[in-house]
Amino acid sequence: MTTTPSPASTATKASEALAVSTAAVELAEVVKRFEDVTAVERLDLRVPDGEFFSLLGPSGCGKTTTLRMIAGLEIPTEGSVRIFGEEMGLRPPNRRPVNTVFQSYALFPHMTVEQNIAFGLQMRRTAADETRRRVAEVIELVRLGGMERRKPQQLSGGQQQRVALGRALVNQPKVLLLDEPLGALDLKLRQAMQLELKELQERVGVTFVYVTHDQEEALTMSDRIGVMDAGRLLQVGTPEEIYEHPRTRMVADFIGQTNFLAAVAQGQGEARLADGRTVNVPPGSTSGVAITLALRPEKLSVVPAGEPSPSGANQLVGVVERRVYLGSSLTYEVALEGVTLRVRQENTPSVAQCREGDRVGIRWDPASTTVLEE
Amino acid sequence: MRAGDAVRPRGPAQRVLAANTWAVYVFLYAPILLLIVFSFNDNRIVGVWNTASLRWYREMLDNAAVLNALRNSLIVALASTAVSTVIGTAAALALERFRFPGRRVYDGLVYLPVIIPDVTMAVMMLLFFVEAFVIVQAVLGISPSLGIPTITLSHIAFNISFVAIVVRARLAGLDPALEEAAADLYASRWQAFRRVTLPLIMPGVLGGALLALTLSLDDVVVTSFVAGPGSTTLPVYVFGLVRRGVTPLINAVSTVMLVASMLLVLGSLLIQRRSPDRA
Ligand SMILES: Nc1ncnc2c1ncn2[C@@H]1O[C@H](COP(=O)(O)OP(=O)(O)O)[C@@H](O)[C@H]1O
Ligand SMILES: [Mg+2]
Repeated sequence: MTTTPSPASTATKASEALAVSTAAVELAEVVKRFEDVTAVERLDLRVPDGEFFSLLGPSGCGKTTTLRMIAGLEIPTEGSVRIFGEEMGLRPPNRRPVNTVFQSYALFPHMTVEQNIAFGLQMRRTAADETRRRVAEVIELVRLGGMERRKPQQLSGGQQQRVALGRALVNQPKVLLLDEPLGALDLKLRQAMQLELKELQERVGVTFVYVTHDQEEALTMSDRIGVMDAGRLLQVGTPEEIYEHPRTRMVADFIGQTNFLAAVAQGQGEARLADGRTVNVPPGSTSGVAITLALRPEKLSVVPAGEPSPSGANQLVGVVERRVYLGSSLTYEVALEGVTLRVRQENTPSVAQCREGDRVGIRWDPASTTVLEE
Repeated sequence: MRAGDAVRPRGPAQRVLAANTWAVYVFLYAPILLLIVFSFNDNRIVGVWNTASLRWYREMLDNAAVLNALRNSLIVALASTAVSTVIGTAAALALERFRFPGRRVYDGLVYLPVIIPDVTMAVMMLLFFVEAFVIVQAVLGISPSLGIPTITLSHIAFNISFVAIVVRARLAGLDPALEEAAADLYASRWQAFRRVTLPLIMPGVLGGALLALTLSLDDVVVTSFVAGPGSTTLPVYVFGLVRRGVTPLINAVSTVMLVASMLLVLGSLLIQRRSPDRA
């Protein structure tokens, strides 16, 4: 059942929204339930105007559902969706100032490229000559010149993708919603399209809400990323914030690779590991609290076992269990007491390489440790 | 044929199967062939070949009763097809796209006319009209009788199901995201239907319509129950003639009906196979 917010609460929320600057998209305490499945659970989100915002999370975490609620293709079970301050309520998709690039593209198979792109303008009764002009502009923008008279199934995947993009952009929406738009393309094309999309977004200045399960894609393209899991928004931040300072183990694990070390905070920026050794950590945790240290593989380095550590740096000793050669880098799995740490090293002449079975030291700067309290 | 099939020797099983196939063809088409051949026979005695002529076709066109029945058939077929195509398409859309209370029950009921025997359908319709007439007379004071309108209504009743089935098959293969995309691009429900859904299901709609036309033109059982005096359709008229003995005139009329039906079925198949998204 859909609950429409009471007029009073809508009014106060509206004035709050105006007090802060108006966001392009604002979701407040949005919940979506399908019979027995809760697809989205109390989601709060503000996307400022002009931002490239990505929703990132594993398959089935509720990204598409969130996007569809913004588009009006689903109505939230609870909570409110606002677009540029305007409460959307039960408003149907055709009366919302957003357009969507569907995961399957959903191009109209019986229409040509031109007709597909002109569809939105025709529905809004745009004058014929203006429609023609804008369609031509967009065909130029998405580089589909010469394809005007083709039907969708006569196009390659990348071209179809661009028709879907053009069909949405021609309407000059205030917000463009994209549901894994590059998911169906092969790697090379996907990488090229990532850059192209980002450039396009900067050029036209439209707010993008971009759904993907590909962390690299999200890191490459986004101004900010919202990481989702099981219907909840776990963390929102710039790619750097999300990568460098994940707030939960799930975020740290989902974005990039991470080593986790269980420890107990000791106060004064120290923590005791499970085997009793003490390491330096960024200060802030109360003494006695169980914490997890998250360490990115590239923040660790392998040094000869006997080498003394510079003051302040952490150094543990272990045995190289596996060495994986990756070309531009090498990955070592080093067994310490109880845990295995993954270390990534650049393949440069100045870095000494180890063999499997070597006893080595693992060294890292305490500042590059992320402390997770859970 | 694959290369492997070609080198495999033909065993006795294959020969039996091939013979069976031919037997079936002969069984099915020999009577049809006979019918057509004898419709061009100049002899009044049906089974005895005389010379080829168009005599019975000329007689058919001079026969007022035949022409009247033909006219009735066309009126009933066209009217019932038009109405049942609209209602059947709407029913298919409702069943395929919307959730509403009682959907499952309705789902089953729509297919009922396809399953139940013609005679049952005929008795049902007749009973319905008799009861309806009583009510109409009590309420409006006019006394309707069986005739073209009751035949048309009965044909609509069974044709809706056939149209709904054909259209629904087409709808099931249609990506629901297309309608969502239309809505996302500012189309109202009606516009989305007119510009996206309808063009894409059109082969199904036309196929269903042609099927309805064929069924209506061929129906004997239901029509003969709900027809009034003077309102016979062509197949019912032929059926009546046969009871008084087969004449070559019947052969001519039957041949015309056969050819018309085959053309309609062929058209229906062709339209359903053609898809509008193929360039
Ligand atoms: N129409 C629906 N009916 C029932 N369950 C749904 C429906 N749409 C989505 N779900 C469920 O909601 C959850 C989130 O789905 P979705 O938003 O599509 O995830 P994502 O896009 O992140 O892969 C899933 O468990 C999915 O099965
Ligand atoms: Mg999805």
